[in-house]
Amino acid sequence: MKLYIKSYSSYRSDKEDIDVKKELKKRYKLDTRRQDGFIHLGVFGAQRLKEESQIDKHDELYITTGIGNIDVLQRTHLYVCKEKNSIKPYDFINMLGNTTSYYIAASLGVCGKTIFQISDNFTFINSLISIYASINQSKKDAILGSIDLVNYPDEVIKRVLGIDEDVEVISSVNYQKLSLCSKNALAEVEFDAKTHSLDEIKAILNDNNTKILLSMRCNNLDYETYDKFFETAASCAINSYIKKAQDLLYVDCFEDKYKILRLKSLS
Amino acid sequence: MNSYINSYEVACSAGDIKALMNSIYEKKTAVSINTSFIEDTPLGLGQMKYDDFYDLLAEVVQKVLDNSKLENFHNTLLILGSSVGGMQESEKIFFRDKNYKNLDPRRHSIHVLSDHLVDKFSFLDSRSLSTACTSSANALLLAKRLIDVEAYENILVVGADALCYTTVCGFHYLSVLSDKPCTPFDKERGGMNVAEAIAALLIQNTKDKDSVELKGVGASSDAYHMTNPDPEAKGAIASMKAALDDASLNIDEIDYVNAHGTATVANDKVESLAIETLFNDVYVSSTKAVTGHTLGAAGAIEAVISCEVIKKGLIPPQTGLIELDNKSINVPLNSVAMDVRNVISNSFAFGGNNTSIVIGVCS
Repeated sequence: MKLYIKSYSSYRSDKEDIDVKKELKKRYKLDTRRQDGFIHLGVFGAQRLKEESQIDKHDELYITTGIGNIDVLQRTHLYVCKEKNSIKPYDFINMLGNTTSYYIAASLGVCGKTIFQISDNFTFINSLISIYASINQSKKDAILGSIDLVNYPDEVIKRVLGIDEDVEVISSVNYQKLSLCSKNALAEVEFDAKTHSLDEIKAILNDNNTKILLSMRCNNLDYETYDKFFETAASCAINSYIKKAQDLLYVDCFEDKYKILRLKSLS
Repeated sequence: MNSYINSYEVACSAGDIKALMNSIYEKKTAVSINTSFIEDTPLGLGQMKYDDFYDLLAEVVQKVLDNSKLENFHNTLLILGSSVGGMQESEKIFFRDKNYKNLDPRRHSIHVLSDHLVDKFSFLDSRSLSTACTSSANALLLAKRLIDVEAYENILVVGADALCYTTVCGFHYLSVLSDKPCTPFDKERGGMNVAEAIAALLIQNTKDKDSVELKGVGASSDAYHMTNPDPEAKGAIASMKAALDDASLNIDEIDYVNAHGTATVANDKVESLAIETLFNDVYVSSTKAVTGHTLGAAGAIEAVISCEVIKKGLIPPQTGLIELDNKSINVPLNSVAMDVRNVISNSFAFGGNNTSIVIGVCS
């Protein structure tokens, strides 16, 4: 399966010191009321993508995340349970995945299909597979937003992610505009639904001449690892190599199964 | 590649699929009135009886496997649609401890239900979708697309949502809940009933003698308002049209619309307008009057109902209807026996997320 990347946007909280909510109000003149940090982050990434490319109103919108927004759940349970207050309607609405998609779609002006896909395994690659299957039929372009939000204290998030307390977690939002058409594309990304065993992946990597980057879950392989852990890290890694106009072979792992992404720069 | 629905099962407030269809045709609601979720506030809810939701989930999936030609799910993709995921258990922990310190990370997020099934059944791969009331309808949509591109041969679509205090209260404070069993499309409808359910369908690229075909899927996004649908029904119309185009069917080849029909003022008004605009006298009913609104499980459970309607050749009557609000749509008060060639099933969610599924006799 192959998709072409026409444009992209990236943000990592450890690389840029930005007040996302203020930026949405000041720079993009958007109304941020009744939304939470997760929605703000998603809309922020979308606005950055909009600055880089033409968005068609029929583009399909996919949003993916590893764990979504734990903060709104915690906060809501806190004031309902401890303080005996009733649920605020906007908190309830914001718990739903498609609320994030709604705000992002509204900010981009798209009215095509919107899907919110969440998983703890191969989050980004599986979303690419879903998009490929969908636009293969619709012949539209697609926008993929990958959002990971950290709330502090980050103890709960680390437990849900299954990582050690001393591993640093960051917030990140990354977008790609994807197409089946190669015209004006910055890069192509190739992927497969197939998962590989450790032996299979070692053989693939041995035969490979491209730069290799592993997700932090790939403990049994001896190559460079991406520097931060978040479920949608693959999306950020891909974008950083598109920016450098370099090819990349990215390897992700979940429970001893491996999947790969091959990025080829067209710049 | 065509997609065939070859095995399915449900668990809901009305029971299993056999009990559910009996209730639908006998116009017997399985919604009960509950005053314990919100103090002194009667609410119509669709509740199941179980000890552990995860065990019930596995039981339903096991039944689908037992009724199929597969020996196991090792070559099957799992796509699960849910709006609350593991929140029922996280709530219990929080209400007990007043904090999340003892939160079980394997039982919290949206994908924990699919993780549990992967552990039990060793699925080839898994996905979870969370788009509120369209979650499992979108799971069916994705399943068809993945079979279209030959990415997988077998896909198990599961819709699952457990009743949670948070969701019941959330809908209550949006003023959309009814204190009685809901009455979709009725002039005096008073709102929806939150419910819980599990439904599973095995979709394959091969057919057998009892197959029903998943012919078309369509989706759209209003982005009109975070809760209310576009009053001109543009999103709902687009979704149904897309599904019909995908199925390569004309309007007059649809014999029944299994409506989203939540019995809220907004949804039923807009959905009626969409059906009135697109169709000419097609039979319409909402089975949520029997099951309640099962949220993320709605798309899957109503796809199963649609399969049964086709196999039985019997259009379901509208339970609870006294006086039809929009008299331009054809909502039967009694079951109608006929050859049912194709059914379109709608699911519409907050934020204007709309999905329609066309199911029919094998072509």
